[in-house]
Amino acid sequence: MGGGLLSGIPYTPEQALLTMAMAGVLIVVAVALMRMKRLGTEKEYLYALLKGGVQIFLLALFLTYIFSSPYWYLLIWILLIGMVLVAGRTSAKRASGMPDAGSVTTPAILTGSVVVIVVLALSGAMPMSPQFIIPLSGMVFGNSMTICSLTSERFLREIRLGKDRVESALSLGIPSEIAMDEFGKQAIKAAIMPTIDRLKTLGIIFIPGAMTGLIMAGTDPLVAAEYQMIIYFMITGGGMITAALTIYLMRKKVFTKAEQLAEWV
Amino acid sequence: MNPSDIHIGLKGVKKSYGKKEILRGIDLTVRRGEILSLVGPSGSGKSTLLRCINRLIDIDSGEIRVDGKDIRKIDPVELRRRVVLMPQNSVMFPGTVMENVMTPLKIAGIEGEKRVVNALRDSGVPEELFHRDAEKLSGGEKKRVALARAIALRPEALLLDEPTAGVDPKKVELIERSILDMVKKRRLTVIWVTHDTEQALRVGNRIASIKDGKVVKVGKKDGFEWEGVY
Repeated sequence: MGGGLLSGIPYTPEQALLTMAMAGVLIVVAVALMRMKRLGTEKEYLYALLKGGVQIFLLALFLTYIFSSPYWYLLIWILLIGMVLVAGRTSAKRASGMPDAGSVTTPAILTGSVVVIVVLALSGAMPMSPQFIIPLSGMVFGNSMTICSLTSERFLREIRLGKDRVESALSLGIPSEIAMDEFGKQAIKAAIMPTIDRLKTLGIIFIPGAMTGLIMAGTDPLVAAEYQMIIYFMITGGGMITAALTIYLMRKKVFTKAEQLAEWV
Repeated sequence: MNPSDIHIGLKGVKKSYGKKEILRGIDLTVRRGEILSLVGPSGSGKSTLLRCINRLIDIDSGEIRVDGKDIRKIDPVELRRRVVLMPQNSVMFPGTVMENVMTPLKIAGIEGEKRVVNALRDSGVPEELFHRDAEKLSGGEKKRVALARAIALRPEALLLDEPTAGVDPKKVELIERSILDMVKKRRLTVIWVTHDTEQALRVGNRIASIKDGKVVKVGKKDGFEWEGVY
């Protein structure tokens, strides 16, 4: 590869390694500043760099293998299932105290993500090749995971703070679904507002990741912008499905069948 | 006592939170249309008992019957509209005083501004407060709105958890009077939890005292022996 618009980017791992080493001067700058300011974060920073670096290189090796494997369509299934399970487990940790939280977070993330992936595939926005399926799915699962974590954490916090109000409503024969409605809305809002705010400032304060990548890879900026918008449709659409489903499934955990607040709340 | 006179009956009711036993075998009956004052020291299990009757929490063993029917066999939403709990902490819903009283009715599928206005008047809420933000009312005013919210549902029974706690002492009697007038007018069965022995005597037909999760004494207010209650 190489040449044309892409000639400025190193296209062999050796060239890239050299470029990376030179850019590594920024690590020295960061560590020096941390020391000067006595932040005490140098070790953690270097450890994070090392850990993140190893992870990303392992991923690169894995992707290289998948891209060239004739069995990529099988391997992708394993990868996607792994992504859902890890995302569900990570998100479950945010729902503090909720028993079997994974039975809420995993299906919520899975449903939101699957709907998006199917729409992307059917609309042709995601060509059926591993180069597209893996990064886009990763983005979808990652986004759904964040939304699910934010929703469940906020919902539990609101319910715990508003316990008296919920019980006052229940004691008057108001069904749990209505008694918790306001808290559910607040949680969904809090989870999706950062995305909506990012949408509003799109192109003014920052150029989003996918568009940056596409422009750097030589894509027409207009096409890059169109693709970026598709990504935002998928993030907001999938995020809303995940958030709504998180609240729906959490209600069955937070309240008992007898319309009582569960003891663990 | 004729069994049909018993409105609320509790038999061997036990409830624990973790290892802590809160109710340790409560036996109690409340007659239709009577006011039973429930007294006892803090932490004796009075509030927990009301929460069990309203089924905000489930009991571990024993049984609670309303009109002879085990409450576990009654739809909890229906039960709570029939036997309404007024918690000690009168939390207002967002909105005006009228909306606070209207909301549970609307959800129950009942329309009727007149019913709301009557409930508010019977509870002693002055008309100038009807359209005020309920969350900005004083403690005593909130208690009255909470009472109106409860009675607007036209329940059979009221479970009052310290309905005058935290109210300006000068206004305690006013609230008591509103409740008593309304209870008489609507022929309600009432369990009135209080830690104030004088109030228990003023409002109740009978008095029951609980201590450490057990009923210590039950009797008519005239000649009720207070020894050992606290």
